Amino acid sequence: MSETVKLVIDGKPCTCEKGDYLLEVAQRNGIRIPRMCYHEGLSGLGACRVCIVEVVEAGRSRVVTSCIYPVLSEIEVFTQNEKIKELRGMVLTLLARLAPNAEGVAKMAAKTGIELPRLAVKEGGDTCILCGRCVSACEALGSGAIAKVNRGVTKEIATPYGEPSSECIGCGSCAFVCPTDSIASERTEESFTIWGREFEMQRCSVCGMPFTTQAAFAFLQAAQAEWEPGAEQQPPLCEECGKKAVARQIANAGKYL
Amino acid sequence: MSETRTLLVCCGTGCLANHASEVADALEAAVAAAGVDAVVGVEASDAATVKRTGCNGFCENGPIVKVHPDDISYYKVRPKHAEKIVASLGGEPVKALLYRNDEKQLVTRQLDNPFYASQRKIALRNIGEIDPLVIEDYQERGGYVVLERIIREAVPPETVIQELIDSGLRGRGGAGFPTGIKWKTAAGYARGGGADADGGQLPAFVCCNGDEGDPGAFMDRSILEGDPHGVIEGLAICAYAVGAEQGFLYIRDEYGLALKNVSAALASAEERGFIGDDILGTGRKLHLEIVRGGGAFVCGESTALMQSIEGQLGEPRAKYIRSAQRGLWDYPTVLNNVETLVNVPYILACGGAEYAKLGTARSSGTKVFSLVGKVNRTGLIEVPMGATLRHLIFDIGGGIKNDRAFKAVQTGGPSGGCIPEQYLDLEVDFDGLTEKGAMMGSGGMIVMDDHDCMVEVARYYVGFLAEESCGKCTPCREGLRHMQAILTDITEGRGQPGDIELLERLGHTLQQASLCELGKTAPNPVLSTIKYFRDEYEAHITAGVCPAGVCPELTDFYIDAEACTSCNACKKACPTGAIEGDKERAYVIDMALCISCGSCRAACRFDSVCTRGKARGKAAAGAGTSAEGKVAS
Ligand SMILES: Cc1cc2nc3c(=O)[nH]c(=O)nc-3n(C[C@H](O)[C@H](O)[C@H](O)COP(=O)(O)O)c2cc1C
Ligand code: SF4
Ligand code: FES
Repeated sequence: MSETVKLVIDGKPCTCEKGDYLLEVAQRNGIRIPRMCYHEGLSGLGACRVCIVEVVEAGRSRVVTSCIYPVLSEIEVFTQNEKIKELRGMVLTLLARLAPNAEGVAKMAAKTGIELPRLAVKEGGDTCILCGRCVSACEALGSGAIAKVNRGVTKEIATPYGEPSSECIGCGSCAFVCPTDSIASERTEESFTIWGREFEMQRCSVCGMPFTTQAAFAFLQAAQAEWEPGAEQQPPLCEECGKKAVARQIANAGKYL
Repeated sequence: MSETRTLLVCCGTGCLANHASEVADALEAAVAAAGVDAVVGVEASDAATVKRTGCNGFCENGPIVKVHPDDISYYKVRPKHAEKIVASLGGEPVKALLYRNDEKQLVTRQLDNPFYASQRKIALRNIGEIDPLVIEDYQERGGYVVLERIIREAVPPETVIQELIDSGLRGRGGAGFPTGIKWKTAAGYARGGGADADGGQLPAFVCCNGDEGDPGAFMDRSILEGDPHGVIEGLAICAYAVGAEQGFLYIRDEYGLALKNVSAALASAEERGFIGDDILGTGRKLHLEIVRGGGAFVCGESTALMQSIEGQLGEPRAKYIRSAQRGLWDYPTVLNNVETLVNVPYILACGGAEYAKLGTARSSGTKVFSLVGKVNRTGLIEVPMGATLRHLIFDIGGGIKNDRAFKAVQTGGPSGGCIPEQYLDLEVDFDGLTEKGAMMGSGGMIVMDDHDCMVEVARYYVGFLAEESCGKCTPCREGLRHMQAILTDITEGRGQPGDIELLERLGHTLQQASLCELGKTAPNPVLSTIKYFRDEYEAHITAGVCPAGVCPELTDFYIDAEACTSCNACKKACPTGAIEGDKERAYVIDMALCISCGSCRAACRFDSVCTRGKARGKAAAGAGTSAEGKVAS
């Protein structure tokens, strides 16, 4: 049972289902709210605060985080008024000082027009903006090889005790979702190296192309066995060949219709 | 001796550190030796009983021993005093152990002691009066009567909740949210009466927040240690009201005695059937479990605390949907502070309307504060809401130490604010403090005098918060890092024009854009000191002078030969041996050895140690002359 809610975003009347996240509602209506830690595939992190907007509800105004703000009632939203420009500009400036070598961040920060040379670049700061996407991706997969360690200003992303993680399966999801390409990895025909560990590649049983690591493939198979006990184990297939196999199945199934 | 006497020995953490346990042992031995029947905890006629109680709040004068029913209070009792005390029972009190009031008169009764005279103990009603490990002690003072009545009479939960709403009780954990409303919301969602109503009863949870991460705060610890049954009864009533069968007491891991006493109290409450599988034979259930806190300040924040109970990383979550609707494991959950809960049985006993008469219109009841810093009497106090800062600091606290000048009072814990002298008559309640840029927080109150530098104070708290922020969101983590760096620069003489405005801008960003209340309130110490002591910031930045004579990089110390009495206190206090002098030769500080730590000034009782802006090369020295001179006064 879903309910429709009306809202106005930057003057544009919109509707959505009750509980939809504001950032996504805006996007569907052609309004792109700047964001950094948000990722379609990961549940709301709400960490970077780039996506903040002003929401006025029954005359009361507050600043909310649009990527995790569920629209529950009639509201008016301002995604880039003066107040939000200042706050988002400050947040981006802070991120740029944290990760001086992250190009995308630098570009977004430059556009805000805020120049505060008094704010020092973080010592040892490189490209990581501590958004937490990588940890979230790893957790979502069920692996948990990396984690946020320490609190406050010393927070960082690392493997347990900074050692190569035994939990890591070399799937590369973390590097894939990283918005600033901060996770170093190296891939050759035979191996994939990440977080200080080297993994052997798994080849496709049809075309012979290496498509994931053997550890990641084994992990997925084990997970599948858990979801569907007794189900037939699938042979290793790369994305291309996997699609073809599915297409063939569908085509074959059609024959008997 | 013809009457039964009870010797109540304060065994709160503070007094225990001063050997209260040995005092209790010695008293027991003395009672036995005196030939009176002296089985601990058992009162026989014509006997004296020794009881170990929770904290009386006046720890600096501990160990405290009270004699009942004579109402005699002894302070700073040592084991060697035991015999004298026992011998005096029924006769004249032992004068040497009595308190001297501000007029230097000896006082016998607790309520004649100015520290206690105007306190009104509700949350602390049982502490210091009962042995927390003896459930009968609690019951003798009316404990579990309310819980038993509402369960036996099957009082409708709505009636209980309405009583609480009528009382006007607001959460003592900091935010001041009305407790009754919180319960009502959770009860509504649990009974399927919420927005997603489908009629079915949902599981609900109740939690007690005993994380108390504020450095120096110990009100919740004292309550958990000294009256664990009061908290348990409050939580059990809450569970009854919202229909929960499972509850958690989240207690800071370092609170060893609190953990021990609460766990013992849970066992005896279960034994008596007040909690457990079949409460008082009614078939009703309530399981209460202790969870040890993760040890981080931020774990006291409601969503982080719930993450932690669920076994996840204690990081705050967005709070667009209240925990009363979706809390622990996404079920309706009530989280209340220790002090909030211990008020509950009292409120239901006396009635909500009666309770609401106490305090101010917007904040009813009493509040426990930990009064510390530069006051003559420090400790844990409970007063009705609306008491003025002046009353707390000058009447209860006995004024500023060494008769120095009051400068500010920092309230509300690390992310509280500093309130200056012009607001000493402010009536303390939730809204009054917030309006002045400070907050109630959990009730910490640190008094500062003219030897405290407000920039340094701000730097200290920002440093604490920079470490204790969970580090999840950008404004809080990065903003605090920059604020800390700028404040350090200012206190070390590297401040730049524009720094004050930049701090304000960063502070505004944190307030508006942070994810949780830690980040949103973290700028308070900075913004409130800028608001009330802007000139002090300016003096650091433009003149390179710390007017309070605190910041070592900006301060030189010297001894005023005229005022000096050659008492030698400064020389003894100096950690580097920089002070030379004796009865014949004037005392002087060797600047080559001096590290500007201020120990000499703190030790001097004659105001002879003075400060001036640091001579930093010729130019700086020249520029600093206007600000030089005897700053101490
Ligand atoms: C950083 C932070 C730390 C907190 N620490 C505590 C704490 O130690 N104890 C507490 O009772 N509440 C603490 N709170 C407040 C809780 O989030 C919550 O509001 C409170 O426990 C609710 O109970 P109450 O309504 O009875 O006050 C803290 C809040 C924040 C933002
Ligand atoms: S405001 Fe601070 S403590 Fe709260 S979520 Fe953000 S980083 Fe964590
Ligand atoms: S995109 Fe919403 S907080 Fe990062």
